Amino acid sequence: MKKHMKAAAGFLSVSLAAIAALTTGCSSDKNADGKTRVEIVHYKPEAVKAFEALEEKFNATHDDIELVIDSPNDAMTILKTRFIREDYPDIIGIGGDINYSNFLDADMLMDISDYEGLSEIKESYLRTDKELEFIPMDGVFAVPYMANAAGVLYNKDIFQEHGWRIPTTLDEFYQLCEEIQAEGILPLYFGFKDTWTTLAPWNAICVDLAPSDICSRVNNGTATFAEAYRPVAEVTRSLLQYAQPDPFAYSYNDACTAFARGQSAMYVIGSYAVPQIKSVNPDMNIDSFVFPGSNDPEENILNSGNDLQWSVMAGCENKEAVYEVLDFLYEDENIQTYLDDQSAVPCKKGDFELPPMLDGMKSYIENDKMADYQDHHYPAEMAVDAMIQTYLMDESEDALETFLAKFDTDWARYNRDLIAKVQKFYGEHPELLTEGGEE
Amino acid sequence: MKLSRGAQDRKRTFLLITIPVVILFFLFNTLPLIQGFIYSFTNFKGYGSYDWVGLRNYRDLFTDARVGKSYLFTFKYALAGTVITNVISLILALGLNSKIKGKSVLRGIYFIPNVLGGLVVGYIFSFIFTYILPAVGQNLGIEWLSSSMLSSTGKAWMAIVVVGCWQAIAMNTIIYISGLQTVPEDVYEAGSIDGVYGWKKFWSLTFPLIVPFFSINMVLSMKNFLMVFDQVMALTKGGPSQSTESISYLIYNNGMSGGQFGFQSANAVLFFVVIVAISVFQLIVTGKKEEQL
Repeated sequence: MKKHMKAAAGFLSVSLAAIAALTTGCSSDKNADGKTRVEIVHYKPEAVKAFEALEEKFNATHDDIELVIDSPNDAMTILKTRFIREDYPDIIGIGGDINYSNFLDADMLMDISDYEGLSEIKESYLRTDKELEFIPMDGVFAVPYMANAAGVLYNKDIFQEHGWRIPTTLDEFYQLCEEIQAEGILPLYFGFKDTWTTLAPWNAICVDLAPSDICSRVNNGTATFAEAYRPVAEVTRSLLQYAQPDPFAYSYNDACTAFARGQSAMYVIGSYAVPQIKSVNPDMNIDSFVFPGSNDPEENILNSGNDLQWSVMAGCENKEAVYEVLDFLYEDENIQTYLDDQSAVPCKKGDFELPPMLDGMKSYIENDKMADYQDHHYPAEMAVDAMIQTYLMDESEDALETFLAKFDTDWARYNRDLIAKVQKFYGEHPELLTEGGEE
Repeated sequence: MKLSRGAQDRKRTFLLITIPVVILFFLFNTLPLIQGFIYSFTNFKGYGSYDWVGLRNYRDLFTDARVGKSYLFTFKYALAGTVITNVISLILALGLNSKIKGKSVLRGIYFIPNVLGGLVVGYIFSFIFTYILPAVGQNLGIEWLSSSMLSSTGKAWMAIVVVGCWQAIAMNTIIYISGLQTVPEDVYEAGSIDGVYGWKKFWSLTFPLIVPFFSINMVLSMKNFLMVFDQVMALTKGGPSQSTESISYLIYNNGMSGGQFGFQSANAVLFFVVIVAISVFQLIVTGKKEEQL
């Protein structure tokens, strides 16, 4: 019996130890060897190689700080799960989208307006972040790192072979598609099985045809989506006639692969798809142009947003070390390391070598003719991407009306708390509604 | 009555074995359940500050069209899946329990789908549904097969049923085989004297004797099918047009990556109650039919 007792007691102590280890599994800020530990979690697993190189370089040159960069898949879910456990990294690298707005609204980010590197960042990207604030805030809460741009990628070789020209208006675009079809080539390829890809054409058309502050306007009760999104929805639907049959059967990977193999002449997607396309066909000659959603070339602007930006968590205790890491990341040489790996637009001022597939968008970037992705303002749980997919699949007569009506009702349903908050704020500060409210 | 020293020692040993398990179960099962229940009364996004909203989340559950659709899909899927799985695995078990050549090898082969991970299986089938089946359909001129099943709101759920059953059949077959092995040979001998053969033999002799296994299989597969997640994740991600969003998928997707932690906690609580109710109901109904020799 004594033996049994011992075994059971052993089992008990082992499991208690395991429980203790699990419940206290938080990271401490100092290492065993006295180095300050800075942990970055970012949501760009595709850039893991570039970040591994940067991490190694930083640690080799810094004695007092240990930098750890995590590049998990599906980082947003991982981050949110960690937040539920109140286990925060020091820096998060996320996109300038609704998640940023939410984290900011939940008071999770630190005001870093005293970071000196901010003066080196292009104004328009800082402005984009300002527009993502639900309620105007004092301070700066994110440093934009990389931007991406969306529009139309095209196969340069096919275009040169047939002498096609880049369209600048919507009618020219339709005409081009007709010409391509007449040659027996598929103009567009979509991967609408992955619902988020429906947002690529949607966003690119939105910046041309809908006001950039439409979401804030709806929130403070001065506009409706039914009105603003009608032309956007119509143009989005019109693209289907130039795409492969049943685009809802194919995923994003399928579409990238098909475009890479020359099965379509164009692909309406963002610059972020280029590495994936190149992985199928490394020698492909890709260029891009801005989606011409309007028939007035002046109205057509580039769809570009903050793809990766750094925010410091509010609870971070090592501000100095964190700034040192940021300084390192913003060194020109290190930005170039990232650019060489990913096709992106740096948010830092300066002369960087842009990836060649952005040639067609360069003039827009240089002239600052850009507007953010509208889906950066949509709440994730509302699943606007699935709504657009549903609308595109709906072949009934009143599909458009159903979609637009649903957009407004769902928006009110999913943003209930936010709208109440915003309207309360502007009720108390009516003077901001006329100037700042409609930024 | 005073227990002897030995008996007391034994008791204490058993207690020491049980306590850690109870603690672990409480920490990783009961505690999260209670926490989720508490969060279901808040508008918690999963991070940051939150407010108490009372029963609003529960009221919303019954008016939210998306939640309603996910319940419809899940029940449709679970019913179809449970029936198909149990019919096929019972037939398979009868075959594999008979005296045929190489039955151990066959049993092994039929068990493989259960060993493969749900996601891997999903991705393989995703390829089959997207490229292979439509090609076959086009060549044979079968209209409804010639476009991908996964892209049609009417057919996508069937594709998920096919994959779900393909995986679930293995486990159920094993349980049925072990059930069939408990049926004593002399029952059949007595039956053959009375002239009971074929279908009648199965229906009046075999089946009543394996009802306990039938009921456990019904409960297990119903519960597993109701909690479908992997297959949806790998095959359709809830699409097309949200037609294949299962309850678990919706809870995960909107609770974790969407900011509806509070609302989806309420959904999870409701779902938990529903599953418990169904399981209890099934056990009561099938329990009445059990026969003892």
